[in-house]
Amino acid sequence: MTTIINIDSLTKQYGDKMVLNGISFAIQRGEIFALIGTNGAGKTTTIECMEGLRKYNGTIETHGKIGVQLQTASLPPNIKVIEAIKLITKWHSTTIDMALVQRLNVDLILNKKYKELSTGQKRRLHLVMAMIGDPDILFLDEPTAGLDVEGRVALHAEIKELKKRGKTVVMSSHDMAEVEELCDRLAILKNGDIGFIGTVYELTKKNQDKYRVHIKLANPLEMVDLVSCSYIGEQQGYQIFETNKLEDGLYELTTLLREQNNSMQDLKIEHTSLEQSFMHIAKGVKV
Amino acid sequence: MSAFLYGIGLQWKLDFRSKGILLTYYIIPLIFFLFMGGIFTSIDPNAYKTLIQSMTVFGVTMGAIIGTPTSLVEFYNSDIRKAYRVGGVPLWTGAVNNFISGLIHLSIMSIILFFIAQIVFDASVPSNLFRYFVTLELFIITSLSVGVILGLFVKSTSKLTMVSQLVFLPSVMLSGIMFPIDMLPNFMQMIGKVFPATWGYLNLSANQWEMMSMFPFMLTILIALLLCTWRLGRLHTTE
Repeated sequence: MTTIINIDSLTKQYGDKMVLNGISFAIQRGEIFALIGTNGAGKTTTIECMEGLRKYNGTIETHGKIGVQLQTASLPPNIKVIEAIKLITKWHSTTIDMALVQRLNVDLILNKKYKELSTGQKRRLHLVMAMIGDPDILFLDEPTAGLDVEGRVALHAEIKELKKRGKTVVMSSHDMAEVEELCDRLAILKNGDIGFIGTVYELTKKNQDKYRVHIKLANPLEMVDLVSCSYIGEQQGYQIFETNKLEDGLYELTTLLREQNNSMQDLKIEHTSLEQSFMHIAKGVKV
Repeated sequence: MSAFLYGIGLQWKLDFRSKGILLTYYIIPLIFFLFMGGIFTSIDPNAYKTLIQSMTVFGVTMGAIIGTPTSLVEFYNSDIRKAYRVGGVPLWTGAVNNFISGLIHLSIMSIILFFIAQIVFDASVPSNLFRYFVTLELFIITSLSVGVILGLFVKSTSKLTMVSQLVFLPSVMLSGIMFPIDMLPNFMQMIGKVFPATWGYLNLSANQWEMMSMFPFMLTILIALLLCTWRLGRLHTTE
């Protein structure tokens, strides 16, 4: 694999506020890379620096033609979808890829004016525009925000297809399921620094030996100090405990319930998810 | 070149789909012309001699100073600018396309007015039509240059409403199209000379070209070119 984007000591400041504190990382050709983080962590700023839309300090090297779908983009309200696509196509000296237009379900709205489009339709149009000219690197800033299920499925299929064709996709997202499904690697931004960079597996592996035990109880639990598990909190009527010794944790919990003449109405056990690992790194909290 | 021409054609179509542009480029100037034409010709028997010139100056000034900048402010101060930029569409095309489209629209409006004035008010036709239309195009270009400056430098449509009126109202009141310029106090005559409308009316009503009165057109166009190039360069640099 060869490096297609190399970022070294990227710093960005808005007024007095430091948004990126000298971050460095590299993205390989052909990978789907996600930037995730809480709101204000610096995802969009990082992406816009890579796209060349913002001034920055540090070095960003990109090797290849780029296509960009912005998080917030607009077009003249009276422009028709077909006219917008034609305009971009002409400036790229290419022809309209009708197969692409159809795959993203934009063919049905070609004669609609921009002001008549729903949020999802606008995002699909901007995605088509980003892919005009067959870019080597595609930047997608929260690509599925505002998309319906059909649009989401079509977009995910398109991203997978791009990967098959050796394209590089850099995306930001708040949707952990999407990141888990699509991305080869991810970086978690935390207060302008990189809190984690690696694969989804590497991120969840850190917590892989941990289990979440969700118990629905007949009566309120009188909490005592626990040895083999820790209490996380309550969610939708379930008391949640975390343990890395499942057998010991369950034994301790059931013993406690018997002592308190309490009973279990439901029980769920799960591994720590990507979302929980993300929250642990991005916010430093257990979820 | 094909992309550039497509952009101009597209802008032309977008202008026709915009109620605001249609109002300022065609509807209000032509309604104002019919209304004021009736008043002028009934209170001043000689008004028909300069009716085409005065109403054309009004219509062009309105379209260029109130119509053109609005779509430019909407383009350059919104996410449209970002979308065009990442789509590979050069930012200068926004200003240039609007300028060329405005030039065509205002020329058409002026021609409609030219013919209606003769039919409805029996207005006098300028003696040298070639000279008249060349001067008219120069006046439209000058007025649009001022409009483009406003569109590139004013950052919101609410501010633009005020700034446009600061240019439009004195243009109309001090240019001589409403009443003879020599009825105004000297300092107001001097202020009037700052606006293209004054020179537009003077040149369109004159029987021959005078370099001294054409010079303000050239100067305004040159200043606009320099200012707009600088501003577009600033807009292109990253934030």
